[in-house]
Amino acid sequence: MEQQEHHEPLLLVENLTLKHQGAAAATTILRDVSLELRRGEILGLIGESGAGKSTLGNAVLGLLASGFSQTGGRILFEGRAINELSDKQRMELRGRRISAIFQDHTASLDPLMSVGSQIVETIKALDDAVTSRLAKSQALQLMERVGIPDPATRFGHYPHQFSGGQRQRIVIAIALAGRPDIIVADEPTSALDATVQKQILALLRNLTDETGVSLILVTHDMGVISEIADRVVVMRHGKVVEHGATSSILDTPAEAYTKDLLAAVPRLRVVPANSQITDGPRSVDPQTKVVPQATLDQNPILRVKDVTKIYAGHSFPWLRRGPQSPALRDVSIELARGSITGIVGESGSGKSTMGRIVAGLETAGRGSLDLNGRQFDISLAGKKNGLLGQVQMIFQDPAMSLNPRMSIGAALEESVWFASRETPSDRQDVGEMMDRLGLPRSLLLSYPHQLSGGQKQRVCIARALLANPSIIVADEPTSALDVSVQADIVRLLKKTVSERGVSMLFISHDLALVQDLCSEIYIFKDGVVEDAGSADFIFSKSQNPYTRRLIDARPGRFTH
Amino acid sequence: MVSAIIGRLSQAFLLLLVMSVIGFIGIHSVGNPVFNLVNAEAATPEDIRRATVALGLDQPVWHQYFRFIGNVLTGNFGTSYIYHLPAFQLVMGKLPATLELAIVAMMIAAPTGVLLGLLAGRRKDKPVDWAILRLSVIALSIPSFWLSMMLILIGAILTGWFPSGGRGPTGTLLGTEWSFLTLDGLRQLTLPALALALPNIALIARLTRSGTIEVETQDFTRFCQAKGLSPRRILFRHTLPNISIPIVTIIGMQFGGMLAFAVVVESIFNWPGVGKLLIDSIQLLDRPVVMATLTFISIAFVALNALVDLFYVVLDPRTRHSA
Repeated sequence: MEQQEHHEPLLLVENLTLKHQGAAAATTILRDVSLELRRGEILGLIGESGAGKSTLGNAVLGLLASGFSQTGGRILFEGRAINELSDKQRMELRGRRISAIFQDHTASLDPLMSVGSQIVETIKALDDAVTSRLAKSQALQLMERVGIPDPATRFGHYPHQFSGGQRQRIVIAIALAGRPDIIVADEPTSALDATVQKQILALLRNLTDETGVSLILVTHDMGVISEIADRVVVMRHGKVVEHGATSSILDTPAEAYTKDLLAAVPRLRVVPANSQITDGPRSVDPQTKVVPQATLDQNPILRVKDVTKIYAGHSFPWLRRGPQSPALRDVSIELARGSITGIVGESGSGKSTMGRIVAGLETAGRGSLDLNGRQFDISLAGKKNGLLGQVQMIFQDPAMSLNPRMSIGAALEESVWFASRETPSDRQDVGEMMDRLGLPRSLLLSYPHQLSGGQKQRVCIARALLANPSIIVADEPTSALDVSVQADIVRLLKKTVSERGVSMLFISHDLALVQDLCSEIYIFKDGVVEDAGSADFIFSKSQNPYTRRLIDARPGRFTH
Repeated sequence: MVSAIIGRLSQAFLLLLVMSVIGFIGIHSVGNPVFNLVNAEAATPEDIRRATVALGLDQPVWHQYFRFIGNVLTGNFGTSYIYHLPAFQLVMGKLPATLELAIVAMMIAAPTGVLLGLLAGRRKDKPVDWAILRLSVIALSIPSFWLSMMLILIGAILTGWFPSGGRGPTGTLLGTEWSFLTLDGLRQLTLPALALALPNIALIARLTRSGTIEVETQDFTRFCQAKGLSPRRILFRHTLPNISIPIVTIIGMQFGGMLAFAVVVESIFNWPGVGKLLIDSIQLLDRPVVMATLTFISIAFVALNALVDLFYVVLDPRTRHSA
């Protein structure tokens, strides 16, 4: 028996071909995909968007959306072909034998049901004989197992009362409830902060080692793969590019695509602590968390001082409950002319709020803003404060920041009109900008949905530049893009800043990216500046424990 | 919690005040009720003048309004010009008939509409969905007088299964006369209740369908599938609660509408309810009854809204205070 388990893979995918019947034509999503999953291992499935990795995960779960059809090959689970089972048989397989963890921990849980009930419901659905009392004690054990402190109290709480990481732990507990053989984890940590991601990955590794469950880890992130996967399958355009043990894929990739993918991952350089740092360190006072004024640049383009922002709860003051915690508390930042300054922080740190205040999209209760030597009243909203237009923004999701009913040309011309109040007589400006950003001029007549994600973000950058702003605020401009595209966009931003002398505030959660781009870095935590200084200082000399923790949360392989 | 209740009560008070001004000016501008009260042919100008003074109609409008408000604050809506009974008592007398009609109609409409909507949403773009959508468009667009007459034609005249109009014999419950307590009364109730229910079935079904389709695309229903729950359990334990907020809102609003404005159905089926009382009183310019009815309707809407809000809090933990 033991021996058989070693030889027989738990799950075998053989020459799987899947088609999707769209409105117009059928597209092949998976082409001749073969792989095997052994008991107790973590198999990483990596690829960029459109690689078909999530579809493969859904096919294993027997949860393909309508429109998908399997035209070749098979998926064998313990010798049984999953696609040949009836709906009912597949339902019986799910949860008991094969279960899942999805990316979005917020959306995975029913918001109207307590987490305890959701775990109990799963236990009872999978085992008819179990009593309510037994199910509850099992649920408490599971919560304990995945690291929820004080399960007895937390049992009756609702999903919104948990943090993101804890919600994902609950999801993992539910996935474990039926003691499955396989868990399909689709981007299980992509929606989490780096420090939380590291904990969740450690939990998953731990669980597979202890319970012998096998994990199919679908991800776009080489860092995640390098942390916990035993073996890796690299996919592209629905095909397997190469597969092998994690270390051999990472160290000696055979295929060009894998090499490109690895090269595109931003790497953190840890400067040796004893190296000469030209730029003086400027540490934050640990008590007041305020950057000392004397050390700052004498003539910055942007100087924001002592900004405090409190989000009001209810619109009626007497209905607000409890003390409001400020989104930003006495935050001061500066942006040197012609440079890129980074703001780094985890979710809820106030970094995006800062960006929106600088862009004039949000008001602040207190504080001053000095742009190009001119004072702006940041307690006023929108047009009244005069900031709109002086500052341009590039948002995270390019698909959502372009008007779908406006052609690219029209969107860019609008930007020119906005800056100069005159319609461009010829499209010279716009055309030149397109060339500069590597966009073919033929796209001017296209609409956003006809462009790729990277092209859309280039259009957003072009739009921001054409408005001739004093500074640009870029809020996570590469987070919605594939790594290879992300590398292109970062190169482009760097080039733009050096060529045109634009100043940019770059907001990101990714330390490696910020290190690559920025000369100055502010680290935000819970609405205050936790640490600040030149990039070299932050990455080598800073003794701030939070900064160290952020650096340590990076996958070791992509740090050197 | 206390502050929320105070806020809600002050809103309700403001609403009642605004409604009373609009209603008062409205009914004032429709015509002079004196001509409905005296014998127009036999009355002398002196008779008319005396009647006008007796009703206080010789005073300026604002004066009449403040006297009305003053009376209301002491719990007195005045006496009906026509029936010579206290106006509010008259409205309350019609309430059981209206209430039972609305409740029965909603008890038919809500479950049927929700079930049809869930079915259509689950079978999106299938023949069942297509049929339910088309039928709902028809049910929503036919005028209620035509629907009522068709129901009488089919249910009463052609088949003779149900009586064509009027309220049936009543039984007593909690000191009030209810016709649903007798078998004949229930038969009398069936056709008007159906006439009120059909458009609401369509409305609720469409709302449920779109909600179901939206919720089914969310990750948690997919996660429920992945964790091995049966489709039935997902539909009733997860999808239904998550779409129930808009459904309950519309049920509350429609129920209020049935209490107040089921005029057409009540008239055609000769059902002695509040809506019919309101229309009759407006035609006869019976001001105290009109004002009493409007006040009752406003209070009913405020109360229904409060109930709907209470339901939100019970249903959705996110609206409760979280630490």
